[in-house]
Amino acid sequence: MYDSTILAQILWTSTATAGFQVLFTIAFAIVLKVNKIWNFTQPALMGIAFYAMYVVVNPLGGPVFAGVAVALVVTGATAYGIERLAFATLRARNSGPIAFFIFTLVFAQFAIYVLTLVFTTEPRFMLQSMIWPMRLVGGVVVSDWDLQAIVITAVLAAALYLFLHFTRPGQFMIAVADNADLAEIYGIDKQAAFRLAMVIAAVFITAAMYIFGARLALFPELTLHVMIFAVAATILGGIGSIFGAAAAAVSISILQQFSVLVVDSRWQPLLVFALLFVAIVFFPEGVRVRRRARADGRASLPAMAGASRAAE
Amino acid sequence: MKESPVTRRRVLGTGLALGLGASIRLGPPAAPAFAQGKESFRFGVALPLTGSAAPFGQDQVQALEWAVSDINAQGGAGGRRLQPVIIDTQASPQVAVNVVTRLLSVERTELLITAWSAVTAAVSPIVNRNEVLALIIGANSPRIASMGDYVYTTYPLADVDVALLAKFALHDIKRKTAAVIHINDESGVYGARVFRDHFEKMGGKIVAFESYEPNATDYTGAILKLRVANPEVVHLQGNAGDSPQAVAQLRQLGIKVPITSYTAAYNPQLVAKIGTQADGLIVASLAPGKGDSPAVARYVERWMKEKGREPNNIPVTQYVHDGVYIVRALVEHLDRQGKPLTGKNLRAAMLEVRTFDLPLTGKVTINDNHTVVKPVYLLEVKGGKFTPLKLYE
Repeated sequence: MYDSTILAQILWTSTATAGFQVLFTIAFAIVLKVNKIWNFTQPALMGIAFYAMYVVVNPLGGPVFAGVAVALVVTGATAYGIERLAFATLRARNSGPIAFFIFTLVFAQFAIYVLTLVFTTEPRFMLQSMIWPMRLVGGVVVSDWDLQAIVITAVLAAALYLFLHFTRPGQFMIAVADNADLAEIYGIDKQAAFRLAMVIAAVFITAAMYIFGARLALFPELTLHVMIFAVAATILGGIGSIFGAAAAAVSISILQQFSVLVVDSRWQPLLVFALLFVAIVFFPEGVRVRRRARADGRASLPAMAGASRAAE
Repeated sequence: MKESPVTRRRVLGTGLALGLGASIRLGPPAAPAFAQGKESFRFGVALPLTGSAAPFGQDQVQALEWAVSDINAQGGAGGRRLQPVIIDTQASPQVAVNVVTRLLSVERTELLITAWSAVTAAVSPIVNRNEVLALIIGANSPRIASMGDYVYTTYPLADVDVALLAKFALHDIKRKTAAVIHINDESGVYGARVFRDHFEKMGGKIVAFESYEPNATDYTGAILKLRVANPEVVHLQGNAGDSPQAVAQLRQLGIKVPITSYTAAYNPQLVAKIGTQADGLIVASLAPGKGDSPAVARYVERWMKEKGREPNNIPVTQYVHDGVYIVRALVEHLDRQGKPLTGKNLRAAMLEVRTFDLPLTGKVTINDNHTVVKPVYLLEVKGGKFTPLKLYE
């Protein structure tokens, strides 16, 4: 039998490495929930965020926080631009889901080609050193990167939860996600909610790319591979459930790492595709945990609309 | 004045011309004083200039260009100017097949220098079919020895250095259990098998044999499996581009045992990125270091003077540098015999000359089984620096 230290190590490492996957998944899930778009421009935003940080930290020799700040601005502006110039235009033309889907794929490929031309296919490290300080906690190796990944993910996820449930713009986003046209009738600016969702996704993508880039190398095309995980988690977690998708991301990551106990590690990447296949065929609406109906603190549309008018 | 119309054909034609021009590059400019009436000898060089292996391929090309310049400055190969036609493989088999086909059919080169095991496996049928002599310099899959009549390595394959690493791990540092982690490509798979087979044959036990994909940068799964197996030594059979990441991730997941690897991990970038965490890494180098040879010391000085750094994967750059001297010897041999410089004749010349005395790597003899045997220098990272450990003559 495997000893408890090994099991604890796998649990800890898989939880830490789930950090950036959770953030990527939330970014994907929030756009799907609010904008109703399978946002396959996300690999482009991931690449833009990473290389913005890389340029500031490496060739320019700037501090990491400056790199993150620049990446936030550049990625946020790109996400905003995509919604404002592309998604809004397609929506105004009453384009079908296939048009959105094709646009997002084309945009991602275009951005990846441009990034490849500029930065080549050479894997790049964002930081000068690949090594983080680490310590043994009860026989389990805990690195500063692990702690940072877990803390950033937890703080951002909690902040998003609070934002969605306890602020007006957040509640408006939920209202738009529930029924955009009805929300508009009640005076909510649905276009603003769409743009906000994209900008929030950009924030999560930037944070995730920081965590990723602080430990792993990236080349432009890798963003497409990393993205598959977010799609699988979003479907398994239940389309429209942001935190369900996040929980699914953690579960898949843990399942993937524990799978080394029974199968060769080279089969691990296949596991995500297998789960995606199972999810699409057998759980198209996600794996839902039954629970009793309860008041979830969300304001009703009429109540929010009243607040909106009052604010005006 | 009538403007010329922009047509689809013109746009496509311009793009194609730019694309072809961009990926082929000719070697250094002509040196003075070549024998009248003697044509330059053009030979192909297919190495990665972009992609994950670019830092290594670019340094190898630099070493090759210096050798070409030096030879041409001394009057070339018996009065012929040497002119490499350099193309970028990206270390990708698919790309290599396209560019090497073009090199042989358009540039009409009769000799090719290339490397990377997966690339070699992909282009071997092409060079054999076209009867073009291919000198493989730096790739180490044991299968290279049997890739065809026109494929010869001037660099020892994995069954030389990797087999010795297995012996060193078992007998010298007394490690009875080993885990192997390798990249899932031609070089990784077959090199890793050499370590596994030799280690087990000598009485050791392989407790884990794990791989990672060439297009991945996170090896956590494979490394966790190694931790579960709790080996006394780890053998890494990666490529030059991924080895630093693999060593870093092994250390970050708490694997503190010695790590053995081949020349791919002999890389100044590795210790620069990992520092003292790389301590305990034992690498096999197949070329003398600057402390072993004055010529190598001068070569390293040249790097420091002109580039401000040592080359990535220095032993392979030494072999590539010396490969040009083999080319010179073959051309001079055929010119003396008055034979045309065809791939068939170049191959025959190589088997006739057989032993070459080379400036940076010493004497090398091409064996009938398409292999070479050279001394193996083991180095260990101590205090964040590569230090000599043992020499196997």
